[in-house]
Amino acid sequence: MAESSFQATFNDVDQTVLDTLKPPSKLYWLVVVLLFLGVLTGAACWAYQIFVGIGAGGQNVPVAWGTYLINFVFWVGIAHSGTLISAILHLFRAGWRNPIARAAETMTVFAVCIAGLFPFIHLGRVWQVIYMLPYPNQRTLWPNFQSPLMFDVVAISTYLTVSSLFWYTGMLPDLATIRDRATGLRKRIFTVLSLGWTGSHEQWRHYSRGYLFFAALATPLVISVHSVVSWDFALGVVPGWHTTIFAPYFVAGAIHSGLAMVLTLMIPIRAIFRYQNYITINVLENVAKTIVFTGLIVGFAYATEFFIAWYSHNIVEMETFLWRAVGDYSLAFFIMVICNTIIPLLFIFKKIRTHLGWLFGISLIVNVGMWYERFVIIIGSVAHDFLPHAWGLYAPSLIEYGIMFGSFCLFFFLYLLFVKHLPSMSMTEIKETLVKEATDAP
Amino acid sequence: MRPERYIMGLFKDDHRAATAIAALRKSSFKLERVHSPIPSHSIRDALQLKKSKVGLFTLAGGIIGFFTGFALAIFTATKWSLIVSGKPVVALVPFMIVGFEFTVLFAVFGNVIGLLTQIRLPQLPLPEYYDPRCSGEYFGVLASCQMSQTDDLVRIFKENGVEQHVLHEAR
Repeated sequence: MAESSFQATFNDVDQTVLDTLKPPSKLYWLVVVLLFLGVLTGAACWAYQIFVGIGAGGQNVPVAWGTYLINFVFWVGIAHSGTLISAILHLFRAGWRNPIARAAETMTVFAVCIAGLFPFIHLGRVWQVIYMLPYPNQRTLWPNFQSPLMFDVVAISTYLTVSSLFWYTGMLPDLATIRDRATGLRKRIFTVLSLGWTGSHEQWRHYSRGYLFFAALATPLVISVHSVVSWDFALGVVPGWHTTIFAPYFVAGAIHSGLAMVLTLMIPIRAIFRYQNYITINVLENVAKTIVFTGLIVGFAYATEFFIAWYSHNIVEMETFLWRAVGDYSLAFFIMVICNTIIPLLFIFKKIRTHLGWLFGISLIVNVGMWYERFVIIIGSVAHDFLPHAWGLYAPSLIEYGIMFGSFCLFFFLYLLFVKHLPSMSMTEIKETLVKEATDAP
Repeated sequence: MRPERYIMGLFKDDHRAATAIAALRKSSFKLERVHSPIPSHSIRDALQLKKSKVGLFTLAGGIIGFFTGFALAIFTATKWSLIVSGKPVVALVPFMIVGFEFTVLFAVFGNVIGLLTQIRLPQLPLPEYYDPRCSGEYFGVLASCQMSQTDDLVRIFKENGVEQHVLHEAR
């Protein structure tokens, strides 16, 4: 398991994870309370917007899509690498993903929940969301399934449902392990949560098959979801958006940001919960190598957009991309390019990709860069489209900043609750890795 | 004849459990259940288990989802049949996306229904003679016999490297 001489047993694995579920310290609860206050701040800002109106945000003509859409795309992106790690790498039998799969899946579930909030926030009159649901009504007013926004509703709700079920199904054997070692109220809770799982041969026979199907279904889904998100833009005629490269570009970007968030979360968790023998430097190094790969794809996509704008001789496209690079938001553009494509290349050096400080620092930089990527794509196009007299600039309002702050607090709040109350590392998969390593050993 | 004695043999690794299973299958004792903390190919092979039918539920869900997605999109489009920009009211290309998402969604629902019905979850209370150590580090093999055959059954377990065995009288 580890690159050191440590040879874990099944009991060690259980004990390590069970130790994480011991009653938390006061510091933990202090951080939880602070994050909850952050969540309340975001909620208060949203409530203010509902009472005052959508004008409380900074969106206006011509920039009607501001930070709400930026954050929506950002969080959907974060949600992607969880499924990449848990489903796609599971199908490829990449054993190194086992120690981080659960944490990444959880990240997916929470991130997609938060992403799903932003269209509601952006809607202004949030109760009107019922019009997006296809239900019989006396006005025969049905959703238009030719609209990419309706694709989004279907795709995101499917993704949330599938990733939640995948997450819970994967956790069943571990919940049973905790149940069997718990007492009192905790035992009763985990007895219900584990649904009576006993690991009998009949259960494993169906479970292994079902889990494989889950992974096989989640794999095309994860690619489709961010493709659908990209079509929110690409199906519009706005310069800078109307391009066929958007689907693969968005998928690569999503995985890029998600992997960075995995590093951001894993490095502290590894230290706090003493997971060093399982989440080894080798595991983190593999994530870093994948970030180099996705960073190169993203960089290639940036370059291709400029090339196509020039090659098409479309003056509006050329103007849009030139403005992105040297116009009012050029700082955002260069933050995007440097943070997403140039700085991750440092991971080419083994010394850097095996150093925790560098790994953590670069992961934060990529997170920032990916937020700015969405800023550049969304604002950079609608602020400067076909008609020069309709060009305009945009800056988020305090309410938007408050909601954005609240969304980050909500993510970390949920994550902190998760890591202390549910198994943050898959005991079953780690044990499978141990058996495989013992079998493969010469 | 109704068994009078149940014995749970606890093994440290799946290979030993698998050899014990093979020995039990050759003997006259009844192999009741096997519990393990991880899925094991050795145990599956020793038990000669058939392939799970969960996939049929998944497939059925996928097919239903595919047609449901298309049907929903077509139904809603025809309820409001305005031709916009000369585009067809029933447009198969965009509806393919709805059809695809519903295919995956319903296939997953089918998969979950398949898992719950085939595994028979929720299963509460836990089955008799279940040993909680089997979710941790032991592979448990539960076999039954008559009271007079207890020593013979224990001997089979011991010959195949059992770490511990737990005797239960039939309830």
